[in-house]
Amino acid sequence: MTEADAHMDFDLELEPEDLEETAPETPIGDPCLVVDDLHVVYRVVGSRARKEAAKGAEVREAQIKPSFLKRLVSAGRQHTGGVSEVHAVRGISFTVRHGESVGIVGVNGSGKSTLLRAIAGLMPPASGSVHVSGEPSLLGVNAALMPQLSGEQNIMIGGLALGLTPKQVEERFDEVVEFAGIGDFVYLPMKTYSSGMAARLRFAISSAASPEILMIDEALATGDAAFKARSKARIEEVRQNAGTVFLVSHSISTVEAMCTRVLWVHQGKLVMDGPTHEVAESYKEYIRDQRPPGRRGPRAGGRAGARNGGGKGNARKVGAQGQPAGS
Amino acid sequence: MALAKQYGLRRLNVRPPLLEYIRDLMGRWSFIRTLATSTAYARNQGNYLGQLWAVLNPILNAAVYVLIFGILLGVNRHVGNSIAFIVIGVFIFRFIESSVTGGAKSISGKTQLLRSLHFPRAVLPMSTVLSLLATLLPALVVMCVIVLLSGLLPGYQTMTVTWWWLLLPAAVVLLWIFNTGLAFIMARIVATTPDLDNIIGFVMRVVMYGSGVIFPLAGYLERMNISEGAKVVVGGILEYQPVAVFLYLVRSCLTQEESIPQSGLMWALGAAWAVVFFAIGFVIFWRGEERYGRD
Repeated sequence: MTEADAHMDFDLELEPEDLEETAPETPIGDPCLVVDDLHVVYRVVGSRARKEAAKGAEVREAQIKPSFLKRLVSAGRQHTGGVSEVHAVRGISFTVRHGESVGIVGVNGSGKSTLLRAIAGLMPPASGSVHVSGEPSLLGVNAALMPQLSGEQNIMIGGLALGLTPKQVEERFDEVVEFAGIGDFVYLPMKTYSSGMAARLRFAISSAASPEILMIDEALATGDAAFKARSKARIEEVRQNAGTVFLVSHSISTVEAMCTRVLWVHQGKLVMDGPTHEVAESYKEYIRDQRPPGRRGPRAGGRAGARNGGGKGNARKVGAQGQPAGS
Repeated sequence: MALAKQYGLRRLNVRPPLLEYIRDLMGRWSFIRTLATSTAYARNQGNYLGQLWAVLNPILNAAVYVLIFGILLGVNRHVGNSIAFIVIGVFIFRFIESSVTGGAKSISGKTQLLRSLHFPRAVLPMSTVLSLLATLLPALVVMCVIVLLSGLLPGYQTMTVTWWWLLLPAAVVLLWIFNTGLAFIMARIVATTPDLDNIIGFVMRVVMYGSGVIFPLAGYLERMNISEGAKVVVGGILEYQPVAVFLYLVRSCLTQEESIPQSGLMWALGAAWAVVFFAIGFVIFWRGEERYGRD
């Protein structure tokens, strides 16, 4: 649904290095994040919703009160104006406590990334509210810093943006480079990096500020096995310091390995919220049901990755909360 | 909600109070500076001549205008040294124009950054203008050299270095403050209504010819077919609007044109425009803070 989803085309196959692993228990503390009836709607200017809506997407033409100018521009014409609204998150509430690591799972375009951005304070909610302690830190796969600048400069910019002082960034520079494992590439422009290298560097930068709430958007999926092990250790470190970790992923095995609690989001609504093993079981069952035959239903977002497509007919199985788009 | 209050949690996505916002922004000064210098540097990367283009670009630009307006059309008969007049006009106006276009894109073109990191959004327009200032500085040196050399040509008024040259940094600082205000306003407008981005180019062209960037307007005003009263009003607007004031200030520092003497009134006006635009622009921008990145 957002641009990030373009990168989310990872399969749900179990990854061998994650098998048989579960997240260790850590003591749970006070609430550090309260989400209350959150709705996120974003506007897409210059695109008509009708075509998308016909495909059953969660998109509709904007019902905002348009200004005179905008009404003038969009009056009755096919190719001018046009504002679409995407209601990506529709009424989600939950509370997270210190020391929890929460996985967010769901099919493509279910609103996972938008939810994550909204609770990081980066997408303003249409209604509802998010309360946090401390400053959440989010860097996803697609969170481009400055592609034309070198990794070195990006580390500085990213660190400063996260609220570190220049001196603190310099102190942690070596650590970040080592963690990202990119060696001398750090002196080349980031646009020359492979996607895995860029994702690793971003993850290293975002976790360098030792945030209270660390949010990871598919960042681990592009890394190799060694990087995964390192990032897992880093996530544990954050949790040991009474921090909280959010992890958005397709790969249920990654979530199982790293999280103690899972939120399952479907079409912008919370379907299930509970301990990892319970939710993971139901989610896997749901995904198995989605496999062919009978996956010709339209889906929100309309991206590729048909394997885990949220078919119209089967989505009803999800339960009363997860209403399929076409119904 | 009671839960949130009980544990002292902070609500996200609410616009911080103005003073708190300013304090937060001042704490990010090194971020603004780093972002500005890195983008200024990156602008000329990917060329074989690299940073040399920071100097070559304005020279070529000035050469075009001098060739067309100064030599071919000869529109500057009332000016003692038309090369100096045009070069100063073009260099200074480019700073203003690129602040407007850059400011307009500073929010709308950075959705990815806005959706991944949390910081006071005013950092972006501020660093955009600061990076333009960084590219202006080498151009200013070039400008001074051209102004001096143009005085050696036959038929052009001789230029000398006077004590007034020391006031050039003051004029540039005022202009920088003014431009930052402009960038704030443009950033907010274009972030809410992207269509206006298309109009900027046309507006700036009107402003360019309406501010005496290439030739002085005084002579044309005389010949206009309007009443005396209207001439006073139009003349006053043309003379005291901010862009014309800043061009006047820089020219009065660097050249010895008889029609452009040092003027206390112009300095006061320049300072006033800078402060007014910056303050209004900042508030306009701040009022949209929680909306940026949604569209």
